Amino acid sequence: MSEPLLTVEDLHLAFGGVRALRGVGLEVRRGEIFSLIGPNGAGKTVLLNCVNGLYPPERGRILFEGRDLDGVKPYRRAALGISRTFQKIELFSGMTVLDNIRLGRHLHLRTGLLTGALYTGPAAREEIAHREFIEREIIDFLEMTHLRDKVVGMLPYGLQKRVELGRALALNPKLLLLDEPMAGLNLEEVEDIARFILDINEEERWRVTCILVEHDMGVVMDISHRVAVLNFGEKIAEGTPEEVQAEPLVHQAYLGEEQGEYTSRR
Amino acid sequence: MTYRSSGVYHQTYAASHAWWQTNFVRAKMALLVLFVATLPLYANLYVISVANIVLYTMLSALGVQLLTGYCGQITLGHAAFIAVGAYVTAMGVLFWGLPYPLAALLGCLLAGLWSVVFGLPSARIKGFYQIMTTMAAQFITVDFIITHYVSRVGGREHYFSLPPGTITIGGWPVDSEVKVYYLAAVLTFVCFAALANLLRTKVGRAWIAIRDNDIAAEAMGVNVVAYKLLAFFAAGVLAGVAGAVWIPSLYFVSPEHFQLSWSVWIVGVILIGGVGSLHGVAFGAIFVTVILELLKLAVIPLAEFYPALTERFLYLKEAAFGLAIVLFLLYEPRGLAYRWQQLKNYFNLWPYAY
Repeated sequence: MSEPLLTVEDLHLAFGGVRALRGVGLEVRRGEIFSLIGPNGAGKTVLLNCVNGLYPPERGRILFEGRDLDGVKPYRRAALGISRTFQKIELFSGMTVLDNIRLGRHLHLRTGLLTGALYTGPAAREEIAHREFIEREIIDFLEMTHLRDKVVGMLPYGLQKRVELGRALALNPKLLLLDEPMAGLNLEEVEDIARFILDINEEERWRVTCILVEHDMGVVMDISHRVAVLNFGEKIAEGTPEEVQAEPLVHQAYLGEEQGEYTSRR
Repeated sequence: MTYRSSGVYHQTYAASHAWWQTNFVRAKMALLVLFVATLPLYANLYVISVANIVLYTMLSALGVQLLTGYCGQITLGHAAFIAVGAYVTAMGVLFWGLPYPLAALLGCLLAGLWSVVFGLPSARIKGFYQIMTTMAAQFITVDFIITHYVSRVGGREHYFSLPPGTITIGGWPVDSEVKVYYLAAVLTFVCFAALANLLRTKVGRAWIAIRDNDIAAEAMGVNVVAYKLLAFFAAGVLAGVAGAVWIPSLYFVSPEHFQLSWSVWIVGVILIGGVGSLHGVAFGAIFVTVILELLKLAVIPLAEFYPALTERFLYLKEAAFGLAIVLFLLYEPRGLAYRWQQLKNYFNLWPYAY
């Protein structure tokens, strides 16, 4: 819980006149659940996209395990151990749940064009080995055994979110970027996802560091180790959930002007 | 989505990864293999020649299915790569003294590499713009390079003649329709099997992922550009196989065999058969070829009343093909393969509706 896994220094990015990030700096420590909150348009997703490599920042540095990620392509960052889910579901809608999760194993598979076409020996064995891994570690864990052969496009929204989490996890990441994993879910589904995130973070098997972007304050304050608050592309507060809740700037920018007790859902 | 018959439970992962999962399906496929193997025993030469066209259409459309149906890269220049396969094979046999299998292998590889050249723009562009670059492959390869330069090699007018007996496999001359039929049937099976295998491993899944959502694919660690180029290579190799198989039944190779119309034709085949389905390639190829032959049979008696029909048959053919595509897009946009799936589900669930 000490050395930083991800360091973001002085990040700037503008889209035309909109300055989405204005000098954001963060430090995410190994093993923690780090939440990013802030009003709509505060730059949370943009920040995740920069870490993930979908947007190149205009200024600033992103260090992952001490390595500068400047110019590293998204698929290379995945190989380094950065995985993610998306705010708007970005699944492979024509594939089954199993195949979606199998694609998450892409980096761990060795089959090439020729060995794949022959499908003898090594290729078939590799498929079976990874199928075992997926069944045991992902499908069982995320309680999706009844879904594995369903086509993803036909599933309800809440389950699609869960499949996306499974796919991101199949990568065996060191850092998991969760972009609003609970948006649009009902209470029961929110609690399921929160439980999965805690398991992913705490279980000896995974120990994945998570960056969580989420609007559901109940969940964020309950499961995060530390929280950073963004507003108009600037970081206005950072600290433990209690510290952030006590910060007047946060109240002003995000939770409202009035001094009010934060109430949990539970 | 398919239903498995009740009572079928897989005990191992290997069993659930198999192509054919029940004895019923295995028996069905064995019957199909038996039918294909014994067809020349009871069919006349006309039927065999139609079967050859069906097999050639399947092999041609297989690469298009891979690129368009599975990898989402629209192509309208596939005939160019078939031409590369056919020409390199023919030149290997005629001028370089290579045995036919070796020449065919060289043809496939060069067709694959040539296809990668025209796949390079796909790193940056999608959709309509990509159609333009693949059409450029058609015009540059067939209408420019092959017509103006390659055809002059050896000083033989505009085509290479391949008299029967020129093409031999280990001393066994491929000189009749029946022999071409067997060659084509074996290679079609091999190509279908190879693609079916690829689709259940890493490479095939990466292609489908790129088709469905390229941003998510890249975030999951797929090198999108490399896999697109790999798809172009594999599709080019399949086109090369089609070209190499086709020349023994042609007796001569000329640029006229590989026009834009053929590129469009095989895209139509997968539209009718079903985009993103291996069954679709087979059904589409059978459908368009057989409909065409039936049309020919219909034209002969009709020509007694309207003689101009025989000379205008070519237009009639194109018109019927266009009409078929329009009707399919309107009434069965997922193609014959989807209808086949529905039919199987119906019988699996019978007498219940679901």
